[in-house]
Amino acid sequence: MTSVISTVSTALGVADWAVRESRAGELTLEAEASALPALADRVVLGLDGRLMSLFASDERHPAGRFVVHHVWSLPRHRSFLHISAPIDPATPSYPSIAAKYPAANWFEREVMDLFGLVPEGHPNPARVALHDDWPDGAWALRKDFPDDRVVPRVHGESHPFRPVTGEGVFQVPVGPVHAGIIEPGHFRFGVAGEPILYLQLRLFYVHKGTEKRFERLPWRHGIFLAESISGDTSVGHALAYAHAIERLVNVEVPPRARALRVVLLELERMYNHTADIGGVATDVAFTVAASRAQALREGLVRVQDELFGTRLMRGAIALGGLKRDVLPEGYDALRRYLDTFEKAFDDLVTLLIDAGSFTDRVDGTGILTLQVARDLGIVGMAARASGVDTDFRRDHPHDAYEGLRFEVPVEAGGDVRARLMVRAREVEQSLSIVRQVLDAMPAGSDASLTAPLPRQLPARASALGWVEAWRGPCTHWVATDERGEIARVKITDPSFLNWPGIIQAAPGNIIPDFPVINKSFNFSYSGNDR
Amino acid sequence: MLRTIVKSLRTGVLTEAHPFETQPSFGFPVIDFSRCVACDECARSCPTGAIQTAASGPGRKTVTLSYAACIQCRECVSGCPEQAVGVSHDVEVAAYTRQQLARTASFDVDAATGRGTFVHVDAHTGPGLHESADRLRERIRGRLGRSLHVRQVDAGSCNGCELEIAATTNPLYDLERFGVHLVASPRHADVLLVTGPVTRNMEIALRRTYDAAPEPRIVVAVGACGCSGGLFGEATYAAVGGVDRVLPVDVYIPGCPPRPQAILNGLLVAMGIREARSVHN
Repeated sequence: MTSVISTVSTALGVADWAVRESRAGELTLEAEASALPALADRVVLGLDGRLMSLFASDERHPAGRFVVHHVWSLPRHRSFLHISAPIDPATPSYPSIAAKYPAANWFEREVMDLFGLVPEGHPNPARVALHDDWPDGAWALRKDFPDDRVVPRVHGESHPFRPVTGEGVFQVPVGPVHAGIIEPGHFRFGVAGEPILYLQLRLFYVHKGTEKRFERLPWRHGIFLAESISGDTSVGHALAYAHAIERLVNVEVPPRARALRVVLLELERMYNHTADIGGVATDVAFTVAASRAQALREGLVRVQDELFGTRLMRGAIALGGLKRDVLPEGYDALRRYLDTFEKAFDDLVTLLIDAGSFTDRVDGTGILTLQVARDLGIVGMAARASGVDTDFRRDHPHDAYEGLRFEVPVEAGGDVRARLMVRAREVEQSLSIVRQVLDAMPAGSDASLTAPLPRQLPARASALGWVEAWRGPCTHWVATDERGEIARVKITDPSFLNWPGIIQAAPGNIIPDFPVINKSFNFSYSGNDR
Repeated sequence: MLRTIVKSLRTGVLTEAHPFETQPSFGFPVIDFSRCVACDECARSCPTGAIQTAASGPGRKTVTLSYAACIQCRECVSGCPEQAVGVSHDVEVAAYTRQQLARTASFDVDAATGRGTFVHVDAHTGPGLHESADRLRERIRGRLGRSLHVRQVDAGSCNGCELEIAATTNPLYDLERFGVHLVASPRHADVLLVTGPVTRNMEIALRRTYDAAPEPRIVVAVGACGCSGGLFGEATYAAVGGVDRVLPVDVYIPGCPPRPQAILNGLLVAMGIREARSVHN
């Protein structure tokens, strides 16, 4: 590890002692705010770093400062680099890196909205999290802002969408209430006839104050809130939160629970990918394939129900391990179902890609190029379908992934077809992973399923938890105050990093293809808005 | 094309004849008040305040369990030192008012030991299930027949409820056979199926959606958050809370998320075909 520290500190041009390995796989560096842009350059150019999260914390009491945090993934070094910079409350601003690194764009604007810290030099310092009818100065994540303050509506200008001009060119507004059973968000298309000229997004309709809520709940109850960050990623977010807490208290999760957590996470990946493949089929009106996919997805969900008592695997993960064990009969049922599933899933994919009427709609549709994906810092499944080889399960192994054999499927196309194929190949890998885990399941009883946790969290401590969930990396940064209560939880859902990708993928396509493009990504609104 | 037809024929009918007969391992918690000593442990273990205790006079205490806020996490079941919290396997729970989802019991408290002795279950405030069912039937009389057009509105949900609402349309549950059809616009809708917590940023859109729907515009609130604000609470800076804080709600379907058969059941209740049952009654 010393070699990693010296490599990193050399690349950053800082003294060896400045970079600390605060916890396994987590390097920390405290810097001056003015040094943030230069450090970002060095992280990206010298260490191949990728921005995973950018946020603030209010440490005015007792430290008398705000802190801005940059969290980078350094896949080559299997580490995260957490750079934190103090901000003087008297001059609440810090230098922006968004002009050079667009991944920071929404993050910095969110910090501005919720903390009132201004990113100096941001190319578009408009609101992102707060809608127009929020008054100025409603900095909800500041500590002196009570979470039950009802914020009055002010008469604001409606969101300034980019105007569209020219003969025969017009705007199509869609949402926030959509036509299907999906989450709310507003899309504003600039179109010339059917082809899309550009797309603008207005999100945060389902901003529920989740991060603030964590500060009110007892930390043991935080796991339930984590399960409700994004309903289809309850395992992913619950695990990310659990990892952060377990790292905070230095508890090692028993091997059996680590193995079972892999099963949970891979089942979640499988049922969501299957559902989304069905969704893509629905959106091109291929009902036979859509019905098959829905039935397969329901089959998986029912097995999950049998194994863990809830259909979407809520309440399965405990802080320190797993709530309850799976009986041997459960494993047999799972194995049997996976065999049936594998054959049927294979048939489903063949049915789709053999149908010319289907491939005609998905080939070359909604292309997100490798260049754009890299520039925007796209993560997870969406990045892999655009040729970016990234996966936390391999680059920052968690739970039992270190000892498992699996490939990271990467497709070059960047279109709907590529995203479909990445999903299909990931399901194959998931099947193999689950079987490997079942074959080598460490023996144990209920007692060895959960590590005992101390009654209290350590005071003034923080830790990062991460997971490669089905959409991509979920990260939770948890910090405690002087009493060992939760002071701040920063949640980063992959959707927050990925939504800007769809703005680049849509233009040039026709409006009727937008639903299928959107579905092929299937980003979370709730995970984005929190 | 041929392959598709063959596939279709080979698969046959997947729809289950009796979707309401399956019983999950866990539905909602049920407190056996005769064993309960009103010790507060379950209330402390509950992350949403679905279980609450309160002093109701000298030496008197009440324990209230409301399914409106219950996220079915089972913490109260494992947290009860008296093993007084059991589980019901019934998930087809629906009600016409928030009060109908709650049950309160009164206890005499021994000053020396602090242990409570069960006295009685408090009478409901507000209308009972039958009375509410009649009122709803009166409102929709003759208008809906045996069909229901439903517009789903996500007013702040985590998407969990949407997944289960979508599951009711899959070939196994196939809600269309009950005459229920999900429509794309509130203008076509008899029912708004609303999930919550209603956020500040969705409140206006939700009101406008309601205004766009034709009478009798039944409102069905789905999920713990839709019924009560759930984990996210009510009247926070970002969320208004339960759907009934914004719109008049006709039917509540609790659960986190409610299972597909619970949602089906709730929709049939909204049609007046089934009558709401709450395991409390």
